Amino acid sequence: MSAVSELSTIHRVKAKTPEEKRLAAREAGRDNKAGYLFLLPWLIGLVVIVAGPMFASLYLSFTNYSLIQAPEFIGLDNYVRMFNDPRLLKSLSVTFIYVIVGVPAQLIVALAIAMLLNEGMKGLAIYRSIFYLPSMLGASVAIALLWRQMFEADGVVNQILRLFGFQATTSWIADPQFALWTIILLHVWTFGSPMVIFLAGLRQIPGMYYEAASVDGASKWAQFRKITLPLLSPIIFFNLVLQIINAFQSFTQAYVVSNGTGGPADSTLFYTLYLYQRGFVQFQMGYASAMAWLLVVIIAAFTAINFYFSKRWVFYGD
Amino acid sequence: MALNRRQFLIGAGGLAAAATTMGLGACAPGSSGGGSQGGGGEGGETNLALAWWGNPTRNKNTEAMMAAYMAANPNVKISGQPGEFSSYWDKLATQTAGGQAPDIIQMDMNYISEYGSRGALLDLGSVDTSKFVEGTVDSGKINDKLVGVNAGINTAVIMANPKVFEKAKMDLPDDKTWTWDQMIEVGAEAASKAGVPTGVGQLINSDTMFGILVRQRGKNLFTPDGIGFDVADAQAWYDFLLKGVKAKAFGTPEQISEVLAKPLDQSPVVVESGAMQYQNSNQLLAVSEAAGQKIEMLRPPSLAGKATERKGWYKASMLWSASAKTKNPEAAIAWINWFANDQAAAAIDLAERGIPPNAEVLAAVKSKFSPEQQVVAKFIEDTKTEVGNTPIAPPPGGGTIAELLSRHGTDVIFGRTSSAESAQKFVDELKSNLQV
Amino acid sequence: MTDIQIQGDLAPVDARLTGPAPQEAIHHGPTAADRARSVIKHILLIAASVIMIYPLLWLIASSLRPTEVIFRTPGLWLNDLYVENYTQGWYALSYPFGQYIINSAIVVVGSIAGNLLACTLAAYAFARLKFRLRGLWFAIMLLTLMLPFHVLVVPQYILFNALGWVNTFVPLILPKFLAVDAFFVFLMVQFIRGIPRELDEAARIDGCGHWKIFSKVMLPLMGPAIATTAIFTFIWVWSDFFTPLIYLTDPIAYTVPVALRSFLDATAGSNWGAMFAMSVVTLIPLFLVFLFGQRFLVKGIATTGGK
Repeated sequence: MSAVSELSTIHRVKAKTPEEKRLAAREAGRDNKAGYLFLLPWLIGLVVIVAGPMFASLYLSFTNYSLIQAPEFIGLDNYVRMFNDPRLLKSLSVTFIYVIVGVPAQLIVALAIAMLLNEGMKGLAIYRSIFYLPSMLGASVAIALLWRQMFEADGVVNQILRLFGFQATTSWIADPQFALWTIILLHVWTFGSPMVIFLAGLRQIPGMYYEAASVDGASKWAQFRKITLPLLSPIIFFNLVLQIINAFQSFTQAYVVSNGTGGPADSTLFYTLYLYQRGFVQFQMGYASAMAWLLVVIIAAFTAINFYFSKRWVFYGD
Repeated sequence: MALNRRQFLIGAGGLAAAATTMGLGACAPGSSGGGSQGGGGEGGETNLALAWWGNPTRNKNTEAMMAAYMAANPNVKISGQPGEFSSYWDKLATQTAGGQAPDIIQMDMNYISEYGSRGALLDLGSVDTSKFVEGTVDSGKINDKLVGVNAGINTAVIMANPKVFEKAKMDLPDDKTWTWDQMIEVGAEAASKAGVPTGVGQLINSDTMFGILVRQRGKNLFTPDGIGFDVADAQAWYDFLLKGVKAKAFGTPEQISEVLAKPLDQSPVVVESGAMQYQNSNQLLAVSEAAGQKIEMLRPPSLAGKATERKGWYKASMLWSASAKTKNPEAAIAWINWFANDQAAAAIDLAERGIPPNAEVLAAVKSKFSPEQQVVAKFIEDTKTEVGNTPIAPPPGGGTIAELLSRHGTDVIFGRTSSAESAQKFVDELKSNLQV
Repeated sequence: MTDIQIQGDLAPVDARLTGPAPQEAIHHGPTAADRARSVIKHILLIAASVIMIYPLLWLIASSLRPTEVIFRTPGLWLNDLYVENYTQGWYALSYPFGQYIINSAIVVVGSIAGNLLACTLAAYAFARLKFRLRGLWFAIMLLTLMLPFHVLVVPQYILFNALGWVNTFVPLILPKFLAVDAFFVFLMVQFIRGIPRELDEAARIDGCGHWKIFSKVMLPLMGPAIATTAIFTFIWVWSDFFTPLIYLTDPIAYTVPVALRSFLDATAGSNWGAMFAMSVVTLIPLFLVFLFGQRFLVKGIATTGGK
């Protein structure tokens, strides 16, 4: 069963006799009522707290809004300006690189460590907590400051490289070529969140499958490919979709590491950082709203592509 | 049934959206909806909300002042909203958008025209500024309306670390006669002899130093109509930066970039990786404490080599404003009046926010200042003859000048662009920011 | 119907997967090769751990140094223990730091309760129930994740202001009871879909309605997902800065991240020592929650499927 078809169609059994038809209708009606009843808190939340502000921000994208005065309708001007804005294009490219490199890197590390920790071993709980720690700290100001310091010309990273004999004098954090990579590294360092989710998913794979496979003489790699990956695929899919969505909106780390500026020569000007600058620092919230909705379109496109291809590799138990 | 439900949901969603959008519209100044947080009790208490940014010391001082004021004015209740500088502005903008701006707002020169020219600030003309030192009142005027009362004077200085100069076996330069080129020479010599990377630091994002240069060339940063300088002035500034980098007076471009992101307590002069750096005078105490030693203050250089022609000015380190939509304008003005003119207030705040602009108050409380604050007060007094007209506040969009200056300047010192190109780009971008 | 074994926690799997080598047929227990592999694995893990937590170690070390010294000392070595950062830092702000921790605790507990309640309900609906427009609502739910919060902040603030909820904890907690965190809804949907439908059918045949299936069959099996939701909610809400910043105006109500920011002053000197000390203090609950909570993360499927 593919994810997309599951979600987008209602499964209709061919009801032939009037008796069957009545039963089928009652079943569907019963699910309808139950469905909306279970969904009620979310629907209320959507309507009251989310939908209103979302529509408001869509409206704002067609206005000049300084936050201090009432919004003033200007039609498509913001969107037109966006296409001629070199900093916007730069922020898009910075963010794309971050997503395309950072997300797979982080997920691969998270999965590898999760697999390592999934096997029972001494001190498992402690290792797991240690590997999760950076995720807890990742958004903190203190850690981002330390990270910046580590990658300075005389920071810890260069000191260690010198120990190994390298001529390490570059200031990674001050060089536009490398600054973004330090933030990507920071992202990979906080692999704890997807790791924990992978662990939870791995734990749901019954051990007897592995036993049966090894009795049949399958290698570890074959077991990984034939058992782990397919059974874990819903979780991999989840992590992939959500990490991409989150990565496109990454803000705090870039904000703190670059001190709010977007780093040397805009090399760490993440899209949402630029959006924040336009909205709150330059009092152009209308333009920022337009930027936000462009991002929605981009993320939605990536997500739709993800869902489309998931048909091929995601395997659901139901 | 399903249709009704769907209709209901779509209708409800539309209503919510409409309500939110109308709420946005209702938050325009001058319309009936929304109000500030302070309420008025019937026949009794007035409530004021007071917002400021600072640090634990300033928080304690301000709370003490609030307590003193409430003791002297039993009908007034002030509730404080302390904050931290960078997040303060996000919060203030959100509160203003929602019609919940605090009654009394601590304001900064970079933001005062954003709020002031859009009608968000109360007219403070009835505050008594008669005893203020000349030149300290005008910075709070937007379009001739006083919307911010100077809460503390400061001025641009070059701070020097005597220990670094000792290591270089050099005397401190004569700051009454030095020129920009001489500053580069001194910086280069001190850096190389003392073995530190930075001769003169923190120049790259200093719109104030740039403004000093512009004024010495006979122009202004901003006029009521927009930008007061041209590309040639910007290019002169970038050429100056290039010269200093080439002379090894400012550090390498990478070092300059790193220092850019550092807070005050890790700046070159504090950690002894620099001989001198640009600073505001009221930060002397903070710099000295962080450095753990005495720090000297020098006048900025002049083109002519004469301090009396350096066209300095008294900045307002911060100002007190009031929300235009406050429910208690008289009470807010009364408090600002008290802060500006009452010795009781100054006795608590001392010079933490800057030197008190009221000359009488300053004379009365000066003896209570800490040694560093006394040095600053003396400096401000001594340089009275060297200040020119107070520049006007940056117009809306102009608050970005420091960031633009620094971003394009970084391109120049890294050699990615020429000073002429960056100067043009800088001026163009600043102009477009002003227009929106 | 196949039986599914109960999955233990620390069962050693190495030996089972690799199988006994011919010459080891007489030995019981781990061989020298196994032990060597285990040692190497531990060495690698320890090395990786040090890299992972070096920043935290630096944070702790710095919290035990006076502020002026912190950024001038790169290493981890401590000469003296400067505990004043802790003793003075606790009282350095307008209220003892415990006040802020209590505030954060209130918000966090409320948020966890809200998320667990609302997100499980919504996830069950999306994953197991067929109802009209399900696909559309699911797509909308994902859409709500895609709009950057900076542009939602102001309209939401206006909304909550109109409701009179500014300067209360309500805007911080209530949305959780309305499943606003689509992340967790989606997470649970994926978990539920991994649970075989046969279990539902079995319960249905036994006469259970949806509510019973949800509460008696689904919820117990969703242990890891629920634990994940609780832990992540705790950590994210505990560290959330911007929302408490704009909604809480009275300092007595400030939560931990806002209070920590008060130690910093970009325009003058910051009290880094106290800020690091209080950061360490506030990390302890996070760490403990994770340490104890992860036990629930690892409970695998424990079920008897048979008839």
